[in-house]
Amino acid sequence: MKRITLTAQFQAEMDCPKEVVMWNYYDHEHLVGTHYKLYDKARVLAERDNWSLVYRSKRMPLLPFYTSGIGFQYMDGNVMKSFHKDSIGFMLEMEADFKDLPNERCSVTVTYRINTHPIFKMFEPFFKKIFKKWFWATWEEDAPMRLRRWKVHKLGFKDFSGIEYVNKKLAKPEDGRYEKYEFNPPVKTASPIKTVQGVERPFTQNTELGYTD
Amino acid sequence: MATQEQVITVQEEGREVAYRYLASVEELKKTGQLTRWIDDHDILLYEYEGQIKALSNICRHFGGPVGYHKARDGEFVCLWHNWRFSCKDGSCLTHPGLPLRQYGLKIVDEKIYVDLLG
Repeated sequence: MKRITLTAQFQAEMDCPKEVVMWNYYDHEHLVGTHYKLYDKARVLAERDNWSLVYRSKRMPLLPFYTSGIGFQYMDGNVMKSFHKDSIGFMLEMEADFKDLPNERCSVTVTYRINTHPIFKMFEPFFKKIFKKWFWATWEEDAPMRLRRWKVHKLGFKDFSGIEYVNKKLAKPEDGRYEKYEFNPPVKTASPIKTVQGVERPFTQNTELGYTD
Repeated sequence: MATQEQVITVQEEGREVAYRYLASVEELKKTGQLTRWIDDHDILLYEYEGQIKALSNICRHFGGPVGYHKARDGEFVCLWHNWRFSCKDGSCLTHPGLPLRQYGLKIVDEKIYVDLLG
């Protein structure tokens, strides 16, 4: 039977190198942190250098219930490809294409596709509406995370350590140079996300004071 | 003690310590917790058990904002990956050995100053 593909595509730019955004997209653990209002559980089922198989439970916009499912994602050069099969029954294919821009900026183009029965053509406007809301909701939560990650990197931040001059109460080094930001998946973790326990959000709501001005 | 608008200098243990203006007590009282960058230090200022304290707001995991959420039950939970820190002294409750750096404070005329090197 002939099938159709529902497609939605979005593009946005960030004031940081593409590797920072790739790190953010590939970091499963932040789903129940940064996106704690959208995701309630995450677990890495299997993982190698540039691919991972992940369980997630989340609430999509406009849908009044949580859906859980399995997603496979991998890096193909500067493109992250993923396949999600949710309890709703559709398989969602997503491609995130990362491109460098001048002045340590980048652009990200995300394409969502669902290949399905022609009868669902009538739902295409709804599909586009859901994914438009989803893309921008997650983008707005991720954007300050990426900018801060880039900022602390430029201050000399090292993962699982911090900023040496801050921790050791020293004056900031005069040398303002910083290393190129490298993205080397998988993202290092010390949480139970790779165990049967997985990770869960710590609360469903809390008083947010926000990022530092 | 020498005073300027944004800096006070104090003789402490044989050294001259420059404290930078961070916030007013009144500002802090509004929420009991605030964060602010001074130069390249991101500082989490808060009141805990009647004492005003300051910690680094930079989580030692990946650099997330420890004070994004209001503290609950004596703990800060970093926004990004939920690392937990004690309000008492900044010790890391999820990964001991990676505490948040504490900052020395000086309160003068309802203004809170911080020692970036102490």
